[in-house]
Amino acid sequence: MAVWLRSLRYAAILLAFTTSAYAESDPIGYVKTHAGAAFVDAGGETLEAFPGLALREGDVIRTGDDGRLGLTLLDNTVMSVGPNAELVVEEYLFRPGEGELGLGVRLLRGTMQFISGVIAKLRPEAVKVRTTTGTIGVRGTRFLVKVED
Amino acid sequence: MAQRSGMHGGNLLLAALVAGLAVSACAPKSWVVLLPNEDGSTGRIIVSGPEGQAEVAEAGTAASLDTAVPETFDVSRGEIDTTFGDALQAQPSPPAVFRLYFELGGTQLTPESAALLQDVLNEVGARPGADLSIVGHTDTAGAAADNEALGLERAHFVRDRIIAAGLKLDRISTESHGEGNLLVPTADDVSEPRNRRVEIVVR
Repeated sequence: MAVWLRSLRYAAILLAFTTSAYAESDPIGYVKTHAGAAFVDAGGETLEAFPGLALREGDVIRTGDDGRLGLTLLDNTVMSVGPNAELVVEEYLFRPGEGELGLGVRLLRGTMQFISGVIAKLRPEAVKVRTTTGTIGVRGTRFLVKVED
Repeated sequence: MAQRSGMHGGNLLLAALVAGLAVSACAPKSWVVLLPNEDGSTGRIIVSGPEGQAEVAEAGTAASLDTAVPETFDVSRGEIDTTFGDALQAQPSPPAVFRLYFELGGTQLTPESAALLQDVLNEVGARPGADLSIVGHTDTAGAAADNEALGLERAHFVRDRIIAAGLKLDRISTESHGEGNLLVPTADDVSEPRNRRVEIVVR
């Protein structure tokens, strides 16, 4: 086999490995609504949002000047952001059978609505919404957050 | 979709101006405001800054997120709509929950539930990018291991009916709770129609 072909194959295998580690992690929720410039930075790629796009722990949700996006997580937590927002789901653990529960969200900028789901119902202290300087502890509830530099 | 007030443009502008005046003295740039839940109740949030905490338990009460100790203040409906209109408009429909009931010992839906299955399909069809979780349950009649298997058969039966209507398989999760998660608590070996069910969450 020609050397270049072999190295191409190695490159393909390497690429498959790096992307599959991400793709093999289970979805934690899905995009449901979007308008304007709305993206998900996932596993080193930037994806345009569409309804049904799978979200995974660590994904960054971003919107532009005219953008907005809504998502629902598997425990029925509902979040939606307005324009110029950046939101990260830093931690997601939803295995109620094993008692493993946790949700950590960080809003870096923009506006967001948060409606708590099953994790907050089962273990309220395990749910945190963080901003640059503050932390919001959730006790089964719906609220709005705005973060501006 | 979020319910929006039917205010006229002029009133909205006035409300925004009044709200702007009310908070302009010490308006924080980053803040959180509590809203009532869909069911009319209101929860609680605990806001922490580097040097202190504040608890908010009333809808319309806000807390600053860029002060050492969070400071609480009131926010008008007008200012909420002005600031958060887009985030509110992007809100997905709240998850919908359905229960389908089965005849004794199999995957035969009761006549009422067979009719309700169409509502489930309609709900899925009305939600772009819908995902579902389907959990099968049994009553306590028979052996626990058999009921574990029967719960899964019921969940799969419902899943197959939904797939036949055209939803992508990778957004449906199925599992069985067997006789371990009774809707109506009973002793072992009790035939209870309300426990023979599949619970479906359409998100």
